[in-house]
Amino acid sequence: MNEPHVDARETPNDAAQAAAPDADAASGATAATQAVPFAFTGLTREYFRIWIVSLALSILTAGIYSAWGKVRKKRYLLDHTRIAGDGLDFRGTPLAILRGRIIAVVLFGGIALGRHVMLELQLAFIALLLLLTPWIAVASARFNARNTFYRNVAFDFDGRLATAFKVFLGFGALAIVTLGLAYPWFRARRARFLVAGHRYGATPFTASVGTGDFVLMYLLAGLAVVASVIVFGVGTGVAIAARASQGAEAAPPIGFYLGLALFYASYIVIFAFVRARTQNLIANGTIVGPVHMQSGLRGTWLSWLYVTNIVAVIGTLGLATPWAVVRLARYRARTLTLTASAPLETLPVASAGRASATGSEVSDLFDVDVAL
Amino acid sequence: MTTFTARRFDGRAPAGETVTLAIDGDAVAIIGHDAIAHFARRELAADAPVPGVARKLRTPDGHVIEVAPTAAFDALWPGKDALGRFAFRLESRWSTAILAACLGAVAIWLLVAFALPLIADPVARSLSPEAEHAIGLHALRTIDRVYAKRTRLSADERERVAGRVWIFLEDEPALRDYQLEFRRMGSPNAFALPGKIIVVTDELVHLVKSDDELLAVIAHELGHLDGHHAVRLVLQQSGVAVLATVLAGDAVGMTFLAAAVPAMLLDARYSRAFEEEADDYAFALLARHDVSPQAFADVMRRFEADRRTAEPRDPVYRYLGSHPATEERIRRAEDAARAMKRPGG
Repeated sequence: MNEPHVDARETPNDAAQAAAPDADAASGATAATQAVPFAFTGLTREYFRIWIVSLALSILTAGIYSAWGKVRKKRYLLDHTRIAGDGLDFRGTPLAILRGRIIAVVLFGGIALGRHVMLELQLAFIALLLLLTPWIAVASARFNARNTFYRNVAFDFDGRLATAFKVFLGFGALAIVTLGLAYPWFRARRARFLVAGHRYGATPFTASVGTGDFVLMYLLAGLAVVASVIVFGVGTGVAIAARASQGAEAAPPIGFYLGLALFYASYIVIFAFVRARTQNLIANGTIVGPVHMQSGLRGTWLSWLYVTNIVAVIGTLGLATPWAVVRLARYRARTLTLTASAPLETLPVASAGRASATGSEVSDLFDVDVAL
Repeated sequence: MTTFTARRFDGRAPAGETVTLAIDGDAVAIIGHDAIAHFARRELAADAPVPGVARKLRTPDGHVIEVAPTAAFDALWPGKDALGRFAFRLESRWSTAILAACLGAVAIWLLVAFALPLIADPVARSLSPEAEHAIGLHALRTIDRVYAKRTRLSADERERVAGRVWIFLEDEPALRDYQLEFRRMGSPNAFALPGKIIVVTDELVHLVKSDDELLAVIAHELGHLDGHHAVRLVLQQSGVAVLATVLAGDAVGMTFLAAAVPAMLLDARYSRAFEEEADDYAFALLARHDVSPQAFADVMRRFEADRRTAEPRDPVYRYLGSHPATEERIRRAEDAARAMKRPGG
């Protein structure tokens, strides 16, 4: 069926260029660049039932089922992430997730208990968590990539642990030492490391994520935080002065709580803008062979989603969580466009020998999935 | 003969082909564009069903056959994984999903209300006194660093208070191994730390109008020490924190926030149960030494009055500061005082 193109798998970019003109009759692609339909088709009412059963069985099994529940939730969300009509297929085993859960419980339980028992113990657990972060990041990315299939072809992650140590601990430490000034560099390096380590079939991801864009974004975010602190500070000062002039027993400071709520809301808005810009920068800089992405998340709309989600989730004691998850996924999918300069069918697939040597079965025992 | 329209992915390229899946008893035919593949039904491994998710069969040669989820297909390939089938049945209907949720809610209530305290109690009691004391000293150091200032009570005053408590416990030497600390913290208060440490604030010593009122407060704190309440509270709070981590494990920040609200309510619930236990202990201890539990009611009223004047006239503060629990505790103390009077005549 696609044999002629598979021959050219050694040089994916060339293969894509060469394959475009004589593409399959079936796919019918002749134009240089074509839009690839991308959609999220999940339904809140379906996802809610999967979510609530997962939560209930997790409670009834003292948390053990949560790994199985996570696989089912992930299968639902990925299956409904449709690229050119076909969903993503998650085949991860719950055991890796269970291992991740145990690690998380030990680390965070240690930090929580250490707070009461001994400061040194808490610091030791925090240090352990920091030290393990690069390994956790690499192992989780590998587990998730290797177990995610699109049209029966797996993704992969082969970012090196040594590089992860340099990025997470080196640049992370630099960000702390410089009191956050180097944080944009850390985030840019981390994004490049995580994106460029991925592969789909035999096609490596390339990341052209500019550090300058990150620096500019965090500079603006920092200024916005300073501005909101000043506005809130001045507002509080004025309110206190006004109150003092009327005597201490004057009207109750309802305005103060309103101001405080606005102050926290401003943080959510800034967070949403940073989130939107970060995801756009990373997506737009990610190239998979002939496939390019264009993400158009808007800070304003994302702020609205975050604020309403938080209100709904807290107001329903968490029951609105599936609704919040589905509408975020829907918005992300709506704002993401994929374009391909060659049919997806022509993307090369790793040879069988390579796949088994690094296959997920080999490293299964060391697979973990920790959501930090 | 049943047929399904399916997509076949052979894995040799990211390409799909529309095929027809025809099942006749145990024989399965996959009819493609230019070839037909034959299999026995059991040769095709099915994934565990998830509602609304395409079902997938794997052929022995590694092809994936994807079929839209239908009851007819699920009947033919229910999936090998029993747990997955069970979860699928629960997830497929609203009635079962909500029933599962109700069972889960009951289970979490049982776990938090009974199981956690049941575990925390023996663990707290099996801690060595040295370990408990170390935890208490750590807590006291933190309090000193963050909240407390050095006492301004004179040495005479401190000795008088300590001596009064010492004499009160004359015939109960087993209770005399506490450590009494004085601190200035801005409001009248007393609390018990792990390792038999009782902290009394200067403001409390000034607030009480009689020795009996002071002894009532100390008796209450001795109740906390007797029940190892501080350590149990820490253990139970950590248990709730771990539970929240597990349940919200893959959740985003906002769900964690939602998990924090019930956790806070639970902490309040635990504290209330411990306060009641300590009150009962105090009423009994006071009665044994011919001190009326009325002293406890009096000092509680004084606490409330002090709190009302100290707090700003602020609706939010006033709302949070209204303690129906305090009224209840005063009532219980007065009941105990009446019960003490009755037998004596």
